[in-house]
Amino acid sequence: MQELTNNALMLKVKSGDLDKLGLLYERHKKRLFGFFYNMNSNTSLSEDLVQNVFVRMLKYRHTFTGEGSFTAWMFRTARNVNYDYYRKNRIAFNQSDVMNVAYKLEDSENMEKGMIQKDDISVLRRAMHLLPPEKREILVLSKFKEMKFSEVGEILGCSEGTAKVKAHRALKDLRTIFLQLETR
Amino acid sequence: MEKEKFEIWMMEYLSGELDDTDRDDFENYLKNNPNERQVFEEAYGLWNGIDLFEIPEHSKQMDDTFFERLHSEIEKQESMKLNWFQKFSSIFDSIQKPQLAFGMLLLGIGISAGYFLNTKPSKEAIEVVNASNTETEQVREQLVLTLLEQPSANKRLQGMNEAAKLNDATEQIIEALFATLNNDSNINVRLVAIESLAKYVDTPEVRMGLVKSIALQDSPLVQIALAELMVALQEKASIESMKDLLQKPDIDTTVKQKLEESINHII
Repeated sequence: MQELTNNALMLKVKSGDLDKLGLLYERHKKRLFGFFYNMNSNTSLSEDLVQNVFVRMLKYRHTFTGEGSFTAWMFRTARNVNYDYYRKNRIAFNQSDVMNVAYKLEDSENMEKGMIQKDDISVLRRAMHLLPPEKREILVLSKFKEMKFSEVGEILGCSEGTAKVKAHRALKDLRTIFLQLETR
Repeated sequence: MEKEKFEIWMMEYLSGELDDTDRDDFENYLKNNPNERQVFEEAYGLWNGIDLFEIPEHSKQMDDTFFERLHSEIEKQESMKLNWFQKFSSIFDSIQKPQLAFGMLLLGIGISAGYFLNTKPSKEAIEVVNASNTETEQVREQLVLTLLEQPSANKRLQGMNEAAKLNDATEQIIEALFATLNNDSNINVRLVAIESLAKYVDTPEVRMGLVKSIALQDSPLVQIALAELMVALQEKASIESMKDLLQKPDIDTTVKQKLEESINHII
């Protein structure tokens, strides 16, 4: 029912009833914000990217056909917004990534000297940050509640089975990085 | 078992896509296959660990920016529609009897629209429309509250226009309208607030709020507008408030005259 009304609402936006985009925003802003935050760990950037998704949905509303899931269409737009941001800010972004990680590793060594207890979740977050974006992305999408692998496949443009295999391999790579960080 | 098949099965288990029987099958399989069991255990902790990542709350600014952008987009669309209509009607300027031609065209459009729309909507469609109407009201309420908090008087006036589109107002909206009527620095915004509140005068609380507001106003225009509304409503309770206002030494003579007239009309 929810998905049906999502599609119905987006079709109304397409036909010119722009007010309805406000409803879609209220329904999906948290999930989109979570997606971007897990991808870039930056609150204000994530908020900007959420705005960009809705600006783009409005601009390309004529491409929405109502076939398939609205959520998948929305997250495909979110991926494009994210890629475009990376592409436009490639140099600055990579540099800040490297600096960020170097700082965090140094910080973690200090922490371990000062405190015996390790914070596994914080290490896991750093490991996630070091995963290549496409692998991080599939894990973030697969972890969404109410998002089935069939939808993840639709977003990524692959079959459901391939999405599962990709998610498994991303998880495996995450474990490798996690163990490397833990032994430092 | 093939490695890839196991990977798929494991991801289905982890993501909760398996039913009870399949889950039991998977767990039994792990009991008999220590190698796969190890692979599973390695993945299990990390998979659940991702759920523990904290996501901060987004700021209120994100909502404000979105609704402001949406509102300006809607206004842009409406002005474009108007321009289109003007261009369209200019086609008929060259015709000798434009009223006739335009009338015929509208009749044609009306008949066609009636023909195509004359189908009974399904129950499901009605439910969807009802659900989305309720949500539209909720979003509009939020938009009103956001716009009324803006520093620009123009934005607050837009908020009042949106409030006028609401079918029914919640207690929160009524409170926001009264807060605007009693405290807004701009006279125009306060005058529009009276118009918006006049829609809800059937509610005793709104009537009393308007009565109390008379004595709080310092602008002659707002005082006169409230006095006129009280006469229209024949609200006897307002007499005391108007008399209180008359006692004030700095009262405008026009307002004084209007208040006295209003009291006489109500009595």
